[in-house]
Amino acid sequence: MKLRSLLLATAGAALLSATALSGVRAEGVTIDDIVKDQSTPADVVSYGIGPRGQRFSPLETLNKNNVKNLTPAWAFSFGGEKQRGQENQPLIKDGVMYVTGSYSRMWAVDAKTGDEIWQYDARLPEGILPCCDVINRGAAILGDKVYFVTLDAKIVALDAKTGKTIWRKKIGDYEAGYSATAAPLIVPSESHGPLIVTGNSGGEFGIVGEVQARNPDTGELVWTRPVIEGHMGTLNGKESTMTGTKNESWPGDMWKNGGGATWLGGTYDPDTKLIYMGTGNPAPWNSHLRPGDNKWTSSRIAIDPESGEIKWGFQTTPHDGWDFDGVNEFVSFDMQKDGQTVKAGATADRNGFFYVLDRTNGKFISATPFVKNITWAKGIDENGRPIYNDDNRPGDPAEAADGKKGKSIFAVPSFLGGKNWMPIAYSQKTSMFYVPSNEWGMDIWNEPVTYKKGAAYLGAGFTIKPIFDDHIGSLKAIDPATGEIKWEYKNKAPLWGGVLTTAGGLVFTGTPEGYLMAFDDETGDVLWKFNTGTGIVGSPVTWEQDGEQWVAVVAGWGGAVPLWGGEVAKAVKDINQGGTVWAFKLPKQMAAN
Amino acid sequence: MNTGWKTIVRGAAILVVSLAAALPAAARDVPADPLKSVMWADMAERFLAGGDIVFDQRVRVMAPRSAEDQFFVPVTVDATRLPGVTEIVVLADLNPIPKVLAYRPVDAEAFIAFQIKVEQATVVRAAARTADGIWHVGGTHVDAAGGGCSSPAMAHGQANWMATLGQTRARVWRETRDVARMTVRMRHPMDTGLADGIPAFYLSDLEVSNGTGRPLASIDIYEPVSENPTFTLKPRIGADTAELDVEARDTEANEFAYSLPVPDPKVAN
Repeated sequence: MKLRSLLLATAGAALLSATALSGVRAEGVTIDDIVKDQSTPADVVSYGIGPRGQRFSPLETLNKNNVKNLTPAWAFSFGGEKQRGQENQPLIKDGVMYVTGSYSRMWAVDAKTGDEIWQYDARLPEGILPCCDVINRGAAILGDKVYFVTLDAKIVALDAKTGKTIWRKKIGDYEAGYSATAAPLIVPSESHGPLIVTGNSGGEFGIVGEVQARNPDTGELVWTRPVIEGHMGTLNGKESTMTGTKNESWPGDMWKNGGGATWLGGTYDPDTKLIYMGTGNPAPWNSHLRPGDNKWTSSRIAIDPESGEIKWGFQTTPHDGWDFDGVNEFVSFDMQKDGQTVKAGATADRNGFFYVLDRTNGKFISATPFVKNITWAKGIDENGRPIYNDDNRPGDPAEAADGKKGKSIFAVPSFLGGKNWMPIAYSQKTSMFYVPSNEWGMDIWNEPVTYKKGAAYLGAGFTIKPIFDDHIGSLKAIDPATGEIKWEYKNKAPLWGGVLTTAGGLVFTGTPEGYLMAFDDETGDVLWKFNTGTGIVGSPVTWEQDGEQWVAVVAGWGGAVPLWGGEVAKAVKDINQGGTVWAFKLPKQMAAN
Repeated sequence: MNTGWKTIVRGAAILVVSLAAALPAAARDVPADPLKSVMWADMAERFLAGGDIVFDQRVRVMAPRSAEDQFFVPVTVDATRLPGVTEIVVLADLNPIPKVLAYRPVDAEAFIAFQIKVEQATVVRAAARTADGIWHVGGTHVDAAGGGCSSPAMAHGQANWMATLGQTRARVWRETRDVARMTVRMRHPMDTGLADGIPAFYLSDLEVSNGTGRPLASIDIYEPVSENPTFTLKPRIGADTAELDVEARDTEANEFAYSLPVPDPKVAN
C-alpha cells in the first residue's frame, strides 16, 4: 500500500541522516549473529543465549573466587500499577537492553546506565484470556527491528531505535482463547531467508496448537504447522500437508479443539537445521473423553524451517490425564557416552522425567526421574513410553454414581510440573544440566465438559499440595549421560525462574523469596546472593561490557503459582509484587582474584 | 584553586564552542508572541525547527473563544491566502502533548479543519511553512474548563470498541472546478496515554491520493486530535478525477483504507 511505502521511505531517510550525523553505520543484528550468539559474549541477541537454548556463557571473568564481589550497577523500574509476574529474559545489543514485561510492554534501556530510551505499551483489547498471569517471556531482534508477542495473540515488530510499531500481525483469535507469551525464535532458512517463528497459548480453552513462521521484514506468513493430527498446514499461502492422519490417535471430532498449545516457543539447532517445539496438554484435561495417544500433544516435534513439515515427533505423555503440558524446551547438546559423541537433545518434562533424545531423528536414548516420588508412571520403557500406573489416572466421571465427578486421586508431580516453563541450562564446562524443579503433588478429579468457544475447557478439578515439609523448589545438577543427580539445592518456595551457567563455574537462578543466587557448578554451594526486593521468576543473562562482566535479571513476583497454587499459594502469600531490571557487574578492580 | 578555575573556564569555552557548532548559523530571532503565551519560546524551539519565524495574519486559526466541550474543540486553519505553503504545524501550547498535527498539502489548498482535546485554557496556533523555509504563524486563544487530554475515550465504555476501529465515513464535494472539499471521519479512541491504565493509541498517519496513486495530502497526527478524528481538507483535483483514496495507520500498525467517489463536475452539488 502506498502509505506504507511512504512511511518506509521516510524512515529510510531519517535513518540515513541519523547515520550520516553520527558517522557510525547502523548494522543491527544479522541472522549469523543470532546463530553464533553463544560465542559472542558482548551481546545477547537470542532467547536462550544461542538458538540451542543452552543458557551457557563462555565468559569466565566472573568466577567462583570473585563472584562475592558482584555488585549492583543499576536498577530500572517498569513502573505503573501493572506489577505482575515478570518471566522474561533481557536481550542486549550495542549497549542497549531490550526487555519485556507484564501486560505486553517493552522497554529499551541503556545497558550501561539503566536510562530509559523508549517504552512500548501494547493497546490490549478487553476480554483477553491469558490462563496463567499476564506475563511475557522476552523479545527477539533482527536487523533494525525488535519483536515480541502480546496477550491478545499478536506479534509486533518495533523499530529498535524508537519503539514505533512497524507491523503487527494476528497469531490467533483472542476471543476464542488464543494468547501468546513466549519469546519469538528467529531461524535461518535457505528457501525463505530468516524466519520469525512463534507458538501460541490457550490450551485451557480448546485452541489448536500451531507453529507459525513469518517474513521478519513484513510479518507475512511463510508457513503454518498445526500440531494436532487432522489439521492442515500451509506453505506460501496455500494448503500444504495434513499433520499426521485424522482420527489416528483422536476419537470423533475431539481433534478439532485438541489443545497442544506451543506456548513456550522453541529452540533451533544449526547442526540439524531443525526447529524444536514443545507441545502442550491435550484438551480437555479429562482424558476419558479422548481415548488414544492424542498426537502431538505433550510432545517434542522437530520442524523443517524450509517447509514447515514435522521431521520427527516424540510424545512424552501419550493420552495425558494430568495436564503434563510437555512444552518444555528441548536443548541441543553433544553428549559424550561410551567414548562416542552423540548429537543429543535433552528436556526436563512436566511429567517429572528427564529425557535425552537423538536430536537428528527423535530416537529415545534415556529417561530418568528428576523429582521424587513420581506416582503416575512406574517408569519409562525402552522405547520411551511411560509405564502407566493405571490406578493413578483420575477416574472417569461416567463411572461415578452421579456421573458428575470421577474418583479423585493424588498424583506426583502436580499439574504445575516437575518443571514448568522456567528454562534449564547446560554447561559445556561440566557437561551437566541445571534444572529448576519442584517437588509437589495434587488431588485431581475429572468432570464432564463440552467445548464452548472462549470458555475454559478442562473437565477437571484439582488442588496442589507440597510433598515435603521444608521445600518445594529444588535446583538440580543432572548428568545427562547417566541421569544421575550430582547435587541439589532445596528452596522453600517453588522455583519459577530460569537458569544461567557460565565457563567461570557458576550457576545463576532466582527465587520467589527475591534472591538472585550464584552456585558453584560442581558442588551446588551458594557463593553469592542478592535480595532484589520481590520474587524472581525471570531468566538471568550475562554479557561483557567495557571489559567488565555483567549479570542482569528481571525481578517481579507472579506467574502461575500464586494464581493456581492451592495450598502452595499460602507459602508465597507474603511475597510482594514488583517489576524491576537489576543489573550487576564485577568491577574491574575486583576481578583480579 | 587556580587549576580548578582554569578547568571551569576551559569547560565553559568548550561548551560555548560546541553550542555554536550545533546551531546551523547565527541564532534566529524569535519574535515576541502577540498572544503572550508563556510557552511560545519553547514551542518555537521544539516544533518549528530552522527557518525564520514571522507572525502573519494570512494564517488564520479559527476556534471558539471558550471551549464548550474540551474533548471536541473545533479548529479550522486557513492559510489559503499565503502562497507556497508546504506544511502546516498545529500546536496547543499548554496541552501536556502540545503537537496536534503536521499537515502537508502536497496538491491541496492550505486549509484543514479538525477537532482537538484541550487540557486547560491554551493558545492554539498554526505555523505554515512556505517553500523558502519561513514559518508563518497565526493563532488564537481558547478558554476551557480542562481535562480533555487525561480522561478516557468514550469508546472504552463499550467492551467491543475494537470491533469498530477504523470504521470510516467520508464525503467529497466539488467547491470549484479544480478544488474539492472532503470530510473524512474514522472511528478511533485516540488514547493519549494520560488516562489511568490506558496506553497511548492513536491514528498517526493519514494520506489522501487521487485514485491513481498520486498523493494529494498527508497528515502526521498526534494524541491531542479528538476521538473519532474528523478532517476536512481541500485537495486539488482534475475534472476527470472520479475517486479519492484515504489511507490511514495507527500507532499499533492497524491500517485502514477508504475510497470515496468524486461527484461529476457536470452534475450540480
